[in-house]
Amino acid sequence: MDLTYTPEQQVFRAEVRAWMAANVPKTPLKTLEGQEGFEQHVAWERTLAEGNWGMVTWPEAYGGRGLDLIRWLIFEEEYWRAGAPLRANQNGIFLLGPTIMEYGTDEQKARFLTPMASGEKMWAQAWSEPNAGSDMAAIRSRAVRDGDHYVISGQKTWSSRAAFADWCFGLFRTEEGSKRHKGLSFILLPLDTPGVTIRPIRQLHGETGFAEIFFDEVRVPVENRIAGEGEGWNVAMATAGFERGLMLRSPARFQAMAARLVDLYRAHAATASTQAHEAVLQAWMDAEAYALNTYSVAATVMAGGHIGAEASLNKIFWSEMDRAAHRAAMSLLGASAELAQLPDGGPNIWQEGYIFSLSGPIYAGSNEIQRNIIAERLLGLPR
Amino acid sequence: MDFRLTEEQQELRNAVRDYLAGEHGPEVLRRRDAQREPDDAVWSGLVGMGLAGLLVPEAQGGLGLGLIEAALVAVELGRANVSEPIADTALIAAPLLSPAEQEKVAAGTLKIALAHPINPWIADLGTADLLYTSGGTTVPPVAKALTGIDPLRSLFAPVFSTEDDNLLNRAALISAAQMLGGAEAMLAISTEYAKTREQFGQAIGSFQAIKHHLATVAVKVEFARPVVLRAAYAAEHGHARTAVAISHAKVAATDAAMLAAETAIQVHGAMGYTYEVDLHFWMKRAWALAGAWGDRAFHLRRIEAAVIGRGMTIGPDTVFASELNNA
Ligand SMILES: Cc1cc2nc3c(=O)[nH]c(=O)nc-3n(C[C@H](O)[C@H](O)[C@H](O)COP(=O)(O)OP(=O)(O)OC[C@H]3O[C@@H](n4cnc5c(N)ncnc54)[C@H](O)[C@@H]3O)c2cc1C
Repeated sequence: MDLTYTPEQQVFRAEVRAWMAANVPKTPLKTLEGQEGFEQHVAWERTLAEGNWGMVTWPEAYGGRGLDLIRWLIFEEEYWRAGAPLRANQNGIFLLGPTIMEYGTDEQKARFLTPMASGEKMWAQAWSEPNAGSDMAAIRSRAVRDGDHYVISGQKTWSSRAAFADWCFGLFRTEEGSKRHKGLSFILLPLDTPGVTIRPIRQLHGETGFAEIFFDEVRVPVENRIAGEGEGWNVAMATAGFERGLMLRSPARFQAMAARLVDLYRAHAATASTQAHEAVLQAWMDAEAYALNTYSVAATVMAGGHIGAEASLNKIFWSEMDRAAHRAAMSLLGASAELAQLPDGGPNIWQEGYIFSLSGPIYAGSNEIQRNIIAERLLGLPR
Repeated sequence: MDFRLTEEQQELRNAVRDYLAGEHGPEVLRRRDAQREPDDAVWSGLVGMGLAGLLVPEAQGGLGLGLIEAALVAVELGRANVSEPIADTALIAAPLLSPAEQEKVAAGTLKIALAHPINPWIADLGTADLLYTSGGTTVPPVAKALTGIDPLRSLFAPVFSTEDDNLLNRAALISAAQMLGGAEAMLAISTEYAKTREQFGQAIGSFQAIKHHLATVAVKVEFARPVVLRAAYAAEHGHARTAVAISHAKVAATDAAMLAAETAIQVHGAMGYTYEVDLHFWMKRAWALAGAWGDRAFHLRRIEAAVIGRGMTIGPDTVFASELNNA
């Protein structure tokens, strides 16, 4: 064990810190779940890419810097310390990107990764269907082969920010009559292709952060398929692992939240309940534990280790930590928790955050599903 | 930055784990429980493994290792639920003793009990050769044993002692590591039971309610482990935030052990409520250690004093508190 940063790592940290201090927008952006806010976030993605910070772990050939996971963690720490905005292209850079890196052809890498890192093409994830949520193997949307094209028909739902995105990736049934996870393929397509209709759905907070996507005989070239025909399930499982595991939820984000929560507590200590008091300390400890665990996993991965079902432990931990910390904040705010805008005019970020935290245990595979995975694959209990 | 155990550390851990798995099965716990006396054979086995001299300098016949290794060994002692006073003697007290005493510790001829005002009771005073209080060692007073929750740990009324943060921190860390090992053991025992016990014609482990109970424990344990290791590292390297790191470790390990114990008994059903299954030894050790060397409330107050009281930050520059020293 060597829990110290090398001089090179320290220099890198200073470089990121200086760049963020000079470039992070001074006023907070509008929420990326709305059209206007999304566009502001896209502009931020472009700024990041100009500084060559679009996706630091990717190879230089695709707009990255070829950095290892420890440096990625340092980058993220400085990113959140500076109060930089959420990544609007998270579906692309954190989920699809690593998937293409692992399963894509060289042509696909060249074609998709660079515009993803640069924020030029924004991505939506199109997996869920009205009758295939937790049971993703139940999906029915079809892609029928017609020469060098697939013809796609069906419906996807709950697709985050699909109303604003440029492309989507999804799973489609390419083998007629196939059952469950067999006969599925992983296909990418532009959302402005003829035959695609997008119907925004208002989320709990009122913004159109989700959308349904309808496919009516949409023609997509076969070369937009990742990996072999019928091999989509395994590819999707790898993507889901990225979603639950390291990349999407970097520790620094929760450390920044815990620090804000401690400040909030100080401002409301006189009226805080015993439960809220303890919850603040718990949030602080959990954010620490999460960071430590992530560094530990990163070191293992860098040494050639692999994270499989362990990603499910991670997913449960961050989503439950996030919800508990925001619940504590709402309790500290007391009656003011009700206000959507605070008297000083700023948004009530704790209320926004609380609402969003409620989705954590649902998306990326519900926590019930994660507990099944842990029990069956890590503990070896019978199905 | 490399948050992995070194090869030597892994070898040490594996050797101790394998040894204890072979030599320190539940039959030892039952024998120990029946005779209510320390077991010479177990003690000499531990000494033979070199554990008594783990932290004793090589000049005094020890291995000269540090707190990270001590914590790793403590996890294994907790997993096997060892009740000989090896943790108190070798992992907590040894570095605080005189060279002559250290030599005897390494040779296995000296057992130490620890006194500190934070503990309402002293463990295993009756069989100790020396009592360590902050000033040094004294001859243990003759005292009558009290019955505690853990049948393998004897308790004694406190004797006068003074505050000693170094002792408290070392002991809290080693207790946390033991509880982490105990939590891992209880999860493993319960998982095994869930695979074999059948109801409604199938293994109870196939029921989702049972799966989810055990998965919840697995999450708690997984996220307590790096906290304990970081605390050992901070203590070993004298980091500025060691005390807070140790308090965090004690709270995280206590929470994992308490949840593992409560879940274990639930998964075992009435069987878990008996003296007949071995599970109870681990549960009782967890309950005993949860209160020793500062309970949850004490350690939370220490964290609070730093985080809320003194404005200790969180995030970059502070996770591995050595950064503060460099700043
Ligand atoms: C904010 C947000 C963003 C999302 N973004 C996207 C996106 O971009 N793209 C996309 O494709 N999807 C997205 N989703 C959808 C998400 O993946 C699904 O909501 C999720 O997989 C659960 O499916 P469901 O909503 O159909 O719930 P259901 O599957 O109907 O589940 C309802 C309840 O039943 C439980 N349950 C179901 N099956 C089991 C079981 N076997 N054992 C125990 N309990 C079970 C669930 O845990 C849950 O509590 C998003 C969801 C949210 C909330």
